[in-house]
Parts: sequence; structure tokens; C-alpha cells
Amino acid sequence: MNDPHHDLGAATFTASHDPACDDAELLRRIGQGDEDAMAAFYREHGRVVFAQVLLVTGERVLAEEIVQDTMLAVWRAAGSFRGESSVRSWVIAIARRQTRDRLRGRRLRVVDDAFLADQPGSGPGPEAMALDRAELAEVRAAIRELAAAHREVLGLAFGSGLSLPEVAGVLEIPVGTVKSRLAAARTALNRTLNEKGQNR
Amino acid sequence: MNADPADTRYPHLDLGDLIAGAAGQPVGDRAREHLASCEHCQREANRWNLVADGVRGLAAAAPETAQPARPRRAGRRVPAGPWRRALLVAGSAAAALVLLVGVGAATGLVHVRLSGPGTQTALTAVTGCSQIEQADGTLEQVNGGSLVIRTASGQPVTVTTTATRFVSMSGPLLSDITDGASVMVRGSGSDGTIQAAIVTVGQPFSAVNPAGFVPVQGTVADASTAGFTLVTSSGTRIPVTTSGATLVVIPHASPGQLQVGATILAVGHAGPDGTLSATAVAGVAQLRSGPRLRVSVKVKDCSPSSIDEALGAISAEPASAG
Repeated sequence: MNDPHHDLGAATFTASHDPACDDAELLRRIGQGDEDAMAAFYREHGRVVFAQVLLVTGERVLAEEIVQDTMLAVWRAAGSFRGESSVRSWVIAIARRQTRDRLRGRRLRVVDDAFLADQPGSGPGPEAMALDRAELAEVRAAIRELAAAHREVLGLAFGSGLSLPEVAGVLEIPVGTVKSRLAAARTALNRTLNEKGQNR
Repeated sequence: MNADPADTRYPHLDLGDLIAGAAGQPVGDRAREHLASCEHCQREANRWNLVADGVRGLAAAAPETAQPARPRRAGRRVPAGPWRRALLVAGSAAAALVLLVGVGAATGLVHVRLSGPGTQTALTAVTGCSQIEQADGTLEQVNGGSLVIRTASGQPVTVTTTATRFVSMSGPLLSDITDGASVMVRGSGSDGTIQAAIVTVGQPFSAVNPAGFVPVQGTVADASTAGFTLVTSSGTRIPVTTSGATLVVIPHASPGQLQVGATILAVGHAGPDGTLSATAVAGVAQLRSGPRLRVSVKVKDCSPSSIDEALGAISAEPASAG
């Protein structure tokens, strides 16, 4: 299959524009107390962080507070960013820690690793048929009903613009575990859709 | 690529490829080639795409921004000025953002905007991507890889492309559905016949994946003005009917396939004398929502693949805009 634009175009574009460099520059300026840079950083990442936190918590007010705390942490810690990850995954990881701290205070857990770690990824089985029949609105509604841990990994993989290795970095687990966790999330989604279908 | 435990003769896409594809991340040529011909993987990809669309839909439905509020905890050293200002500026930006984005997912946003009358300048910056410009207008001439378009304000713009640039074309292009062509058909079915809403010609393209349709992949046979027979890889022959309302999308067209009179959106770098050296070009042969069409497209970042995806998505926009 001939699809040259991805590779050849990449060289052209990345030579002229590198968002990662822009983000790092923003953080450098934030570290120096640049208020405009902080505002720009918020414009760049605030919505995505908010959407992810809201997906996990399901509570708008709480999500807003967590995002505020996250941005405050960015303001304070920008100078310590070492560039070992993308800025997007760095700020989402901060938000995840903030979320975990908040939910821990409520005796809730964002991720029950003992539950998730060995959940097998399922291939397409009878439950997958529920997904085949589902409308997008039904899928959205079913995602809302998933466990927070499943919503979290789905949001990171599909709503945050992170690569699988970046998702693994945020969750502090191997890439293979991210995959199995996503597969488990999809299995749970299928199950939810299937149950809803049977109740109709 | 993986081997299906049930049948090791055929390698299938592994979970990483499927997830990356659904997430809009780059996948390798071999994976794309395999996907184009493997119904099993297409079904799996569609399931993951639906999951990803669901997540993105929730993100898009989220409130535009957190409301500005002071941190509450006592004893914190809060840089009140910059903090408040950041939130307030972000709130204003978000308000503008919602006007630009319209509908669609929001995951790290820059915007490519195809607008109707009212555009005053020949080249406009792509929001969020410094050094990347866009031009849109009506195609007047095609000279090899060079296009001349006229903007809504009447200015001619020369757009240069090369064979390696991404070009997509869409519209009621039924004559481009020819015997032997590989197509992906999306539409409604009854009595074993598909009434085609969208036909993608050539290799599948993830950006052309509107919700609500189950795609069927195959090869065209018996093409006529009323439809064709879709022959799947298993040999199943499915009658497909087409009409003037059928949207034909050619994700990887050549500049020569662009039709004079089509609406063109080109993205690239400003060249000398007001020209645009395009890295991606989208052509819409017939706008369904009339001359005041405004299409805003989400772009995950300023990478070429994201730009390509965004312009590819424009190809399918008229279907939902109409």
C-alpha cells in the first residue's frame, strides 16, 4: 500500500514546528514566573486535563478543583520538569495524583490494581456483538457506568492524545498491562451494553 | 501483527495496532495494508473506533472549562495573580474555542477551518500551529501539481503540491467507482442490498469513519450509474445502490483528480509571492450545505499525520453537514 505522506510529510512538518519544544519552552517560562506562559499552558492543556479528570470522577465541581490544584502544581513545579516525558503526559500524571489523593480521602480508589492487573484481555466473543449493535450514544452512556479504573484507562488512551507508552508512563505500569487493561475495559463495556440490550 | 490463535495461517493486527489506530496514533504500513484486506481486523477496528468515539464524545460533551475559583485550602502559598489570570484567560479562550470547534471531539486542539464567504485574507494561520498556514477557495486551474484557487474575497492563490503530499477528494463522484476498485461502503441495508451513503475509494482512511454506519469492504464489480456489486474477500457479492446523494470519498487522490469548481482547503507553509506550499489538500466537489459552509476540524497536534487526518475528515463532513 502506498501511503507516503505520513513518513515524508513528517520530516517536513517536524522540522518547522515541534509542539513538544513549545510546551517545554512554556514550562521554562512558567518556571521563571511568567504569567502569560501559565495562561497559555492552561489554554493548551486545561481542557484535556479537565475532561480526563471529569471522566474519572464524574463530578464537575470536584474535577474543577482537581484541575485547579493540578495547575497550581504546574506553576510550582514547572522548573523541575526534566523533559523525560511529554508535557501532556506529565501534566496528566500530576492530575492523576491529585485525583487519587482526593478520592483516597473519600475512601475510594481510582485504580484497584489487584483487581485489574490480571484481568485477561478478551478477544471478540458473544459479548462483542453488543458493541457491534450499539449506537454511539449507547456507548457513551455505557462508558459512564464503567468502573473508574476502566474509565480512566479509556480516557487516557482515547481522550488525552497520549500514545500507549505515555499512558503506561502516567499509570506507572508496563505497556502490555495498559493493553490488557484496555481490553478488560472493553469487555466490561460489552457486558454493560449487553445487559442494557437484554433489559430493553 | 499477531497470529490469531484460532487460525495461525493468517496474521492479524495486534491489540496495540488496533488501539493506536482508534486513538489516531500512527500505525505501520504493514498494519494498514493488512487492515485493508482483513474483515476480521476491520470488525475489531470498528469496535475499538466506536469505543474511542464514545470516549471522545464524552470529552467533547464536558463543560468547556473549569470555572475560575480560588484554591480553598488554608495555608497554601498561592500565586493569586497569575493563577486567577490563567483561569480567566483560559475561560475566555474556551468560550472562543466552543465557537470554533462546533461539534466533535476535543483532545488537544488546534483548528483548521474551512469557511464560506467572509474570509478576507488569502492565507490564514492555523490556530495553534505556528508557521502553518491555510488557504481555502474554489479551484480554478490544475497545472500538474500546482493548483490555482480563488478565495472568497476574490484573491487568487497558487498552491503547490508534490506527489508525496496528502490529497483527498469528496463529493458525488460516482464515476470514480469503477470495476476493480477497492472500496469501503457505508450505508443502510435492506433485503441484502446496501443503499450507499458513503463510498471510500482506495485504501481505508480512519478519518472517514462517521458514526452510525457499519462499513463493508470489498471490490467493485458491475459498476453502473445506479450502483455496483461489492465483492468481499470471502467472495460474497452484495448489491449496492448509489444515487446523487451518495458521497464518494477518495482519501488518496492525485491533484489531477481534483475538479475545477471544487472547494479546496490547503494547509502548508507560506511560500514566496503569497503562494502556499501545501502539505495536505482537501477538495470537496459539491458542498451540501450551500455556499456558507463552515467546517471546523479538530487536529490533535500540528504533526503531519494529524493535519492529514483533519483534512481527510473534511471529506466526510459534507455528509453530516447536509
